[in-house]
Amino acid sequence: MTGLVAAFVEAWDEVRIHKVRVIVSLIGVLIAVAAMTVITALGDMARQANAEHSERTSGRAATLQVNAWSMDGTQPAADTLTSAYAEVVERHAVEYSSLLSTTELRVQFTEGAEPVWASYVDRPYGEMHRIEPAHGRWFSAADERRFAPAIVVNEAFHQRLGEPDLRTNPTVVLAGERPVRATVIGVTPNAYSDEMPSVYLLQAHQQQWGIQGMYDSAPLLELWVPPENAEEFTEVVRADLAGLLGQDLQIEVYRLDPTDFDVIDGQLQWVVRGVSVIALGMGALGLLNIALVTVRYRVREIGVRRSFGATSGRVFFSVMMESVFATAVAGLAGVVLAVAIVKNVPIDELIGGSVTDVPEFPVRAAVEGLVAATVVGALAGIVPATVAVRVKVIDAIRF
Amino acid sequence: MSLIELDGVGRTVFLPDGDRLEILRGVTLTIEAGEHVSIVGRSGSGKSTLLNLMGLLDTPSDGEYVLEGRPTRGLSQRQRARLRGAGFGFVFQQFNLLPGRTALQNVAAPLLYSGGRDFWRRNRLAADMLERVGLGDRADTMPEKLSGGEQQRVAIARSLIRSPRVILCDEPTGALDVQTGTEIMDLLDAIAGESGATLVTITHDTMVAARAHRHYRLDAGLLGPLDPATLAPARQVVAS
Repeated sequence: MTGLVAAFVEAWDEVRIHKVRVIVSLIGVLIAVAAMTVITALGDMARQANAEHSERTSGRAATLQVNAWSMDGTQPAADTLTSAYAEVVERHAVEYSSLLSTTELRVQFTEGAEPVWASYVDRPYGEMHRIEPAHGRWFSAADERRFAPAIVVNEAFHQRLGEPDLRTNPTVVLAGERPVRATVIGVTPNAYSDEMPSVYLLQAHQQQWGIQGMYDSAPLLELWVPPENAEEFTEVVRADLAGLLGQDLQIEVYRLDPTDFDVIDGQLQWVVRGVSVIALGMGALGLLNIALVTVRYRVREIGVRRSFGATSGRVFFSVMMESVFATAVAGLAGVVLAVAIVKNVPIDELIGGSVTDVPEFPVRAAVEGLVAATVVGALAGIVPATVAVRVKVIDAIRF
Repeated sequence: MSLIELDGVGRTVFLPDGDRLEILRGVTLTIEAGEHVSIVGRSGSGKSTLLNLMGLLDTPSDGEYVLEGRPTRGLSQRQRARLRGAGFGFVFQQFNLLPGRTALQNVAAPLLYSGGRDFWRRNRLAADMLERVGLGDRADTMPEKLSGGEQQRVAIARSLIRSPRVILCDEPTGALDVQTGTEIMDLLDAIAGESGATLVTITHDTMVAARAHRHYRLDAGLLGPLDPATLAPARQVVAS
């Protein structure tokens, strides 16, 4: 035990004493580990941004969209559809589901009325599509009992209104046969620049106030189901609806969220790892190069240590441990640098997308970076350690 | 039982061109505990090789080396390293202090290989040893800031830190002026005397050799006795 501690002390002393050399040789490893960790963090961030973007447009995994239409091209009655959909939702106790129909509403802005894309949804739609308002909030249960319709608008819509403070309960007139004044309760971020104004309304409000737009679509049903049961649900829901609506209607049930996301994610991870390994390999080569040169300058010292009674094994272990200690320290510094970069640089903006759930600092990457640095240190230490052991003591002392 | 027994020891090396070079031939020498033995010889006579053999840094090609009654021929590298660390202290001509370490760290360095209690209290033992060689106030000084004499004192302290039974000195005054060299030899004699360690000095300085109890000459690899009358009288320096 004492021997092991002594070997560690010796190795650490060596690192401490030759700190300038060590620092110079380890800059590569430090940068490599920092790069590796930052790249992994970037990868996590990109994956999260990708996932969130996908969830906003197509729903979370697994979102099934149900659609029904007549074979002759006419739309079935909305009431028939909604009651059949409700029956299916209730039968399978689907916790998150939403009707979705779209239309174009005329909205009275300060500069005049203009058509706005509108979506009638149920409350769970927000959760299913990860809708996180930048201001205000999404619909709550209490909103369904309001005396005036509530709307969640996008930033473009909000800007047309003159960006009023939502705490003042700003209202807007939804024009039509029966104009109705709606209260803006939330503002969602624009998905892309130059996005046109759009608005979300509750299905319940549309029916309650008889809001009518142009080109109303038939309601669709969206179901958020466990991904592992998505395929089974697809078949069951199709069969149920066929039973409820009759064979005259064409029933379409398909998965809305991208199913190849895992494949893309897996490929992205391999790319990230590949870049990281190359970066670390380059750092290791620099370390090995300097370590080899250095050990040749330390021939006399190694010989003197052998005269103190250092065995070959001890010399090997000490020289290798120097490398391990040094790379571990460099790895730690690299992780600290990576943390500083990830925490202080708006990476999500750099990768071109807003991320709602900013991923935590990738601890896994930090640990992997440290372990990889240490392993690289051990591997890079083997060569100089072997050279050190081969030093002939007599020649070394005379050196 | 003698401390060191060399019986017909030879050392041969093969040169790069394939020729055989006999560095030592049939060396027979017995050294008792507490003795001071000097070996003089010209450069290339095999003095350092003989010292390396005695210190288990090298192995004889012929003959037998018995250390404290134990033949060394069959010892593994590991056993030789352990015996070397525990039983021998080396003092080199060029001091060979470890760069980048203070005097204290240099003196404590051999204790990194000793294990047990001595490892844990190495700094205290080193400080005590530096006091003994008169460098207690230079403990935190780097070697390059020390004079030649001070560096050799540090080297002596380092060689003694593990209380070796044998101190092997290879030209201990070779890099020092006469006055400092005499002081160093006085110190070595005194400390070896106090600890009862055996002192083996190889030198080409007859005045340094004259201080020993027994004297030998090594010439072209052959060891023979040296008539003390041929040696210059040892200088004595009154300690200040």
